Amino acid sequence: MTQDRSEMSEDDDDQQSSPLDLPSTAIASSSTPNKSRNCISSSVTLKSQTFPDHVLENVLENVLQFLDSRCDRNAASLVCKSWWRVEALTRSEVFIGNCYALSPARLTQRFKRVRSLVLKGKPRFADFNLMPPDWGANFAPWVSTMAKAYPWLEKVDLKRMFVTDDDLALLADSFPGFKELILVCCEGFGTSGIAIVTNKCRKLKVLDLIESEVTDDEVDWISCFPEDVTCLESLAFDCVEAPINFKALEGLVARSPFLKKLRLNRFVSLVELHRLLLGAPQLTSLGTGSFSHDEEPRSEQEPDYAAAFRACKSVVCLSGFRELMPEYLPAIFPVCANLTSLNFSYANISPDMFKPIILNCHKLQVFWALDSICDEGLQAVAATCKELRELRIFPFDPREDSEGPVSELGLQAISEGCRKLESILYFCQRMTNAAVIAMSENCPELTVFRLCIMGRHRPDHVTGKPMDEGFGAIVKNCKKLTRLAVSGLLTDQAFRYMGEYGKLVRTLSVAFAGDSDMALRHVLEGCPRLQKLEIRDSPFGDVALRSGMHRYYNMRFVWMSACSLSKGCCKDIARVMPNLVVEVIGSDDDDDNRDYVETLYMYRSLDGPRNDAPKFVTIL
Amino acid sequence: MEGNREMGPKLLDLIPQGRKWYQEDKNNTDQEKKLELRLGPPGGDEEDHSAIKKKNTETRNIKKETEDKSFHCFNGNHFSSSNKTTYVPHISHKRTAPGPVVGWPPVRSFRKNLASTSSSKLGNESSLHGGQINKSDDGEKQVEPKKEGMFVKINMDGVPIGRKVDLNAYNSYEQLSFAVDKLFRGLLAAQRDTSGGEGEEKPIIGLLDGKGEFTLTYEDNEGDKMLVGDVPWQMFVSSVKRLRVIKSSEISSALTFGWSKQEKMKH
Repeated sequence: MTQDRSEMSEDDDDQQSSPLDLPSTAIASSSTPNKSRNCISSSVTLKSQTFPDHVLENVLENVLQFLDSRCDRNAASLVCKSWWRVEALTRSEVFIGNCYALSPARLTQRFKRVRSLVLKGKPRFADFNLMPPDWGANFAPWVSTMAKAYPWLEKVDLKRMFVTDDDLALLADSFPGFKELILVCCEGFGTSGIAIVTNKCRKLKVLDLIESEVTDDEVDWISCFPEDVTCLESLAFDCVEAPINFKALEGLVARSPFLKKLRLNRFVSLVELHRLLLGAPQLTSLGTGSFSHDEEPRSEQEPDYAAAFRACKSVVCLSGFRELMPEYLPAIFPVCANLTSLNFSYANISPDMFKPIILNCHKLQVFWALDSICDEGLQAVAATCKELRELRIFPFDPREDSEGPVSELGLQAISEGCRKLESILYFCQRMTNAAVIAMSENCPELTVFRLCIMGRHRPDHVTGKPMDEGFGAIVKNCKKLTRLAVSGLLTDQAFRYMGEYGKLVRTLSVAFAGDSDMALRHVLEGCPRLQKLEIRDSPFGDVALRSGMHRYYNMRFVWMSACSLSKGCCKDIARVMPNLVVEVIGSDDDDDNRDYVETLYMYRSLDGPRNDAPKFVTIL
Repeated sequence: MEGNREMGPKLLDLIPQGRKWYQEDKNNTDQEKKLELRLGPPGGDEEDHSAIKKKNTETRNIKKETEDKSFHCFNGNHFSSSNKTTYVPHISHKRTAPGPVVGWPPVRSFRKNLASTSSSKLGNESSLHGGQINKSDDGEKQVEPKKEGMFVKINMDGVPIGRKVDLNAYNSYEQLSFAVDKLFRGLLAAQRDTSGGEGEEKPIIGLLDGKGEFTLTYEDNEGDKMLVGDVPWQMFVSSVKRLRVIKSSEISSALTFGWSKQEKMKH
């Protein structure tokens, strides 16, 4: 499966189900100093101080080097102190799921030879304006610490972090071998910061700006790439809302023989795309830019777009279509049969326009689109895309009361046609339990099920019943389910099902659901693998929150906004659990004595509360 | 709450006390029924709906005491500092608030403007700047003066990418001239510096008096090319269609023969 990880920016990228992230490993190690009692190395040190130790450590180092999965590494580091030490020396890729779980200093003290860092900042609900700006997740302390400790750093992958131009400048200056910069859902920087990176990082292979907010500093960053042949393999700037120098881009592509992935922004027109394609037939992943014209095209000089696509025999991943002129869509026919990933989620395509295209896409595994393709379009997908693994249907008109062109019919069709489905995100206005149950029975491979019925508290629109049975069937029948997002009218019963059957669930998103504390209790008591819990506008209170205290150290975070929590209870929890940072986020005008908690965000941390919390955050 | 059967309906009884408001029904007439002045007891129609909703009501009632106070505490935008995201501390438990709720449906902001960007087949960039340039079906551009923004295209000799300026943002030629400098200074320097390093940025001055390296010209609604600055500002704004910054040395040929020579050089 050639899934491009940078495509799935909203997805959970920790596939392993281990609860052992960096912090908990470190907690375990630091709290059990006598673990080495039974370990080989300590008994050896009793006899001889240096020789056997070195041999053992060398052997270990050579062996542990091959361990890639962080799950395995976390386990290995717990064997004994010697293993912990050697593992720390050989870990070159570090994943930190919550930037506030530990300080940068702790990272650099434990791991000495890091080449790659994946760092995540704000919780996901921040994407939906549920958190004030300037909450934190600053990259600055990380880059400044790593600048001194990891001169050989090659890769930085950030998600929901606040990154400034200065940070990028420091990065470009500090790491001479820097190769990969991936910024997903980040903000705080602009084209001037990007220009510094493109100019100074001479070994840059990957520059992926995905769904990030990039201010237009009116800097021609494309021209800042050095003049000689580049190492570029992937360049994605579709989220950059600023015009680019096309001539410079053309030149850049021409001198980037290793370029495989190119995602253009909407300021690149069809004509320009055509020229680029002719010069880069080796591309495997293409983001097409606007797919439209600025001015009226002179029809006699219209380029043969289909020919350009025909020349791109290697393209397997297609996205873009930011301002699609639908009459040009057929130009992509030549590549359809090869596509494994197709993203139409910016294109308002009608079923009539869509069906001829999708009927050719037999190999499709990842498909994102707007609901404008309607149930009819989904039926066409179901009929053709038998290899489909991931489906995302976004609303063209994301309002609660809009007309919903997709419904349970589309979901049912997909469940019947795409039996290998693993991940689905589906926005709709109406749904039935029957369709959801059908999906649970037809698609046993589902690991991610996210259904968003946009009207709050909407029941099954045929039976009028809550959506409990549908979601219940999902957790019961989809034995591999790790991520679940629920919606619609849901009672405590739905949560009872989740607690009973959702044994592998790691991420749970709840909004406007449930009747009482019991609902949350079912989940906290029944889901042992739960790592990330995000809840909004649901009637869960102190009793429920207390019922999960045995779990919070094993979770990455808990978010609860607009629920029924009191400050007193949160304070209690903070007092009893010293390694838990309990943030109460409110507005500036909050009366400190008020007991109500608007937003609770709590997470485990090895280094105590952060020191960069803004005014509106109270750390209890 | 529903035990008022003996007494006649009072005004307060007709306001759903049991917070049945927020149980969203597909048809709003149910809500309207609750507000109707009737002689029957309040909530009399509830029996028709599923038992679940009643149960929801009762359990939710328990939770409400603490939240009632908070109900009035949130109003409006406290965080308008950044124009990128506006955080509105929403009122909790106002489940069927007639207005939209913050962050719902959970769609990221860049996905929300699709209705405006994709509807125009002529690739108009207006949604980016928030201004509207109306294009009628036969392709003729109509610039709307004095509305939210009045965007006209502006190109500069030697810079391949055109920009757009909002003429409503300025009140005088000086302000416009300053804006043009700001817009193009960096781009021009980048274009001129071929070695890939950081070019020295020279301010673009003298746009209006012919003394600088560049001069600002415009095309009016009759297609004529003129020097900027000769007519009163408002008259200029109402007649300008697009702008061009040309080399001062080529003023006479540009005004006589038009810009087409320069435009071709763009490509």
